Amino acid sequence: MLEALMYGAIATLLSGTVLPLLYRSKNIRKTSFGLSLLSSILLIGFAGIILYTGKEPVFPVIGFLPGLDFTLSADRLAAGFILLIAVVVPGVSIYSIEYVEHAKSEARKSLQTALTNLFVLSMLMVVLAGNMVVFLIFWEIMSISSLLLVMHDYSSEKNKKAGFFYFVMTNISTAFLFVGFISLFRLTGSPDFGQLEYPAADLALPFLFLFIGFGVKAGLVPFHKWLPYAHPAAPSSASALMSGVMLKVAVYGFLRFLLSVSAPELWWGVLILTAGTLSALFGVIYALKENDIKRLLAYSSVENIGIIFTGIGLYAIFKVEGLESLALLSLTGACFHAFNHALFKSLLFLCAGSVVHATGTRKIEAFGGLVKKMPVTSALFMIGSVSIASLPPTNGFAGELLLYQAFFQSFAVTDPLITVFLIIALSSFALTGALAAALFVKLFGITCLAIPRSEKSRLAEEVQKPMLIGPAVPAALCIFGGLFSKQLLSLAGLEIEFPDLLLLGILLGLIYTALFMIIRSKETGPARISETWGCGIPTLTPYMEYSSAGFSEPLVMIFKSVYRTKILNRTEYFDDQESLFKNGKVEIRLLRFFEEYLYTPPARAIDIFSKYVSKLQNGKLDSYVLYAFLAVIVLIIATGGFI
Amino acid sequence: MIDPLFLEGIIKILFVFVLISAGLIISTRNLSSILTSYTIQSFLLAAVSFLLYLIDGKSQLLLLAGLTLGSKVILIPYFISRIEEKIRIGRDIHFTYLEPTTSLMLSIGLIILSYSSLSKIFEGLPLSKLFFFGAVIGLSLTLMGMLVVFSRKRVITKALGYLSMENGVLMFGLFVTELPFIIEVLIVIDLIILVILTTILAVGMDSSIEEYREKVRKLQIWTGGEFR
Repeated sequence: MLEALMYGAIATLLSGTVLPLLYRSKNIRKTSFGLSLLSSILLIGFAGIILYTGKEPVFPVIGFLPGLDFTLSADRLAAGFILLIAVVVPGVSIYSIEYVEHAKSEARKSLQTALTNLFVLSMLMVVLAGNMVVFLIFWEIMSISSLLLVMHDYSSEKNKKAGFFYFVMTNISTAFLFVGFISLFRLTGSPDFGQLEYPAADLALPFLFLFIGFGVKAGLVPFHKWLPYAHPAAPSSASALMSGVMLKVAVYGFLRFLLSVSAPELWWGVLILTAGTLSALFGVIYALKENDIKRLLAYSSVENIGIIFTGIGLYAIFKVEGLESLALLSLTGACFHAFNHALFKSLLFLCAGSVVHATGTRKIEAFGGLVKKMPVTSALFMIGSVSIASLPPTNGFAGELLLYQAFFQSFAVTDPLITVFLIIALSSFALTGALAAALFVKLFGITCLAIPRSEKSRLAEEVQKPMLIGPAVPAALCIFGGLFSKQLLSLAGLEIEFPDLLLLGILLGLIYTALFMIIRSKETGPARISETWGCGIPTLTPYMEYSSAGFSEPLVMIFKSVYRTKILNRTEYFDDQESLFKNGKVEIRLLRFFEEYLYTPPARAIDIFSKYVSKLQNGKLDSYVLYAFLAVIVLIIATGGFI
Repeated sequence: MIDPLFLEGIIKILFVFVLISAGLIISTRNLSSILTSYTIQSFLLAAVSFLLYLIDGKSQLLLLAGLTLGSKVILIPYFISRIEEKIRIGRDIHFTYLEPTTSLMLSIGLIILSYSSLSKIFEGLPLSKLFFFGAVIGLSLTLMGMLVVFSRKRVITKALGYLSMENGVLMFGLFVTELPFIIEVLIVIDLIILVILTTILAVGMDSSIEEYREKVRKLQIWTGGEFR
């Protein structure tokens, strides 16, 4: 049964990839997305059975090298992430049926369809991988297919830069993973994922490499810079998949390693928690300042990945401290939040895609009043914003509540230093939550409410049906996942002390209805509809509205030290003594801190280094023979045992 | 029957001459002297092979001696001398990276390196002193040949350096690994083809390799198209 479901899903995704490449027609593309929809239904069955029964199937497919099998396997952790893929894909597929048709040419439409399916397939295979080699193979396919999606509109210079940035970062990630896996392999002598019963000191190196490798891909601060570049470039459906699922695949990879370690050390947990908290805080602070809707969502992904890693860090700390039930609680919180983020972030990206499609711009300042022009999209956007701001009774609230519970119970930790550390982490975690709420009030308010700020936004029209049904799927799941969070967790076999949000939801609903009824009954006269009073000015103009920058200004003032400005002063003189002024340029702009201090220096160093290396290749036969000669000498010295 | 110890003594003396010939190839500027050195070196190798046959009595060694004599002492030098006549240049005075004196000093270093490195590698192997020395000389000869290839400018000298490298391989094979005879034959065939090719290309070989490339570029042999 399990085997049939899994192979069925793989086969449907594979045919969904191949078909649009063979035939370019609208019907084939529709069929292709239908196939990915079918595959996600199969996968929900597959993951559901494993989560419910706790079976751990292993499928040896072929032995492709001596001692190395192409193995696929799944356990409860993998099943959780397969479920995550399977719930995001339907919305994206339905949405894409209409969305890809807006691409420039037939070839690109079909290519985008094929790549989307390939991308989903590769992510599925990464999660199903039974050993490190299979994992890395599909990890690379995943990176390449997502890169091609980011570079989809390759004619624009900005997108080229974004693609290149993403390409470099994803390769750095893979390089670290390679080293991490190789050092693990040296330790265990086997490429399989298995329980690692080794002292933590031996595992420190693999841990660091894998943490950085997966951290780059997941978008942890300070390796997050590719996200705000790649997302605006990618088509919205691809952004939804990348932000919703691919970042979680990186989380999955890291968890696969971390959970197999039987005895982690305290500093691991502290490191993960610190990285997580900082990512969450910086992500949301940078997002507040952002004026591009997709970049804003990208930064928000950094924040949410931070929250997930906060949960993972808590797990590691509690595990070291021997608090198994708390460790389980925080791990559940991290996984549940990953699951939730996949839902609401894909929802938000899809809605953002619709808004961008309808208005033709990504600038938040140009939106406004969309609630009247695009009522359904606005409603869906609202659900996404409420969920991501973690308001009850949505799933975002349920996920973060689990983490808060874990934090609150951390008084059980005996080490006073760790207690202080956890309190600091908790406070910044709480701050993140508050800022995220402010962020999405801003995003939703500026985008959908009030009156249109630009002509583009005034002329916006509601998008076609598939682009409404698509995001409706994750929106429904957001509310469902929130209301039935307790039931879902216990269905997955996790008996955790957790409030029943269904009850809370019903209660909230009753209160709202009652309030509405009371106000309605107190109503004296018929409602009078008129314009807002504008201090005597006859018509209200968009200039009187809150702007995006204006809304976040108070918060920007508070975090002024984070957004540092840089003053560039360039002057030219006629003479050497610099007394006769020729011309000059003074520029004040935001300091791109991570880019200028963390990314550029190594890039420059590599550039200089490669200049020297390229001198070696001078096209002279003599030099090449000399290199061979030197290599032989070194070999002789080495075989003689001198080095 | 001659006393094997006496023969071994002779072989050791020949070793010294082999090294001297290699040194000459590295440092001499006169092209015909280089060729003569190579011929002598090959002849010494043939002699060593023959003496080993006298000690061991393996007919393979006798065949090898004959092969070396026929190809490397007679045939190849004959071809090369023909080339030298054709290109009408007598001296190769250009060096890259290393001047002759430095090259000679470096060669001494190479011999010491081979000695100390091989003595570590062969530690504990039942190998007699003579065979060990043979291996050391073979390895150093190979390295010195390589040194010639990158430090001399003229193509003809480079070819001789390469041939001398091959002599080193043969030497090493004689004393340590015992290459199968068929492989030795194939190598010699390769060498002869190399020299024949060199002869055919002799028109262009009267210069250094950079100038030769320039010539080829002008004749549009390799680049294809792009007539100027």
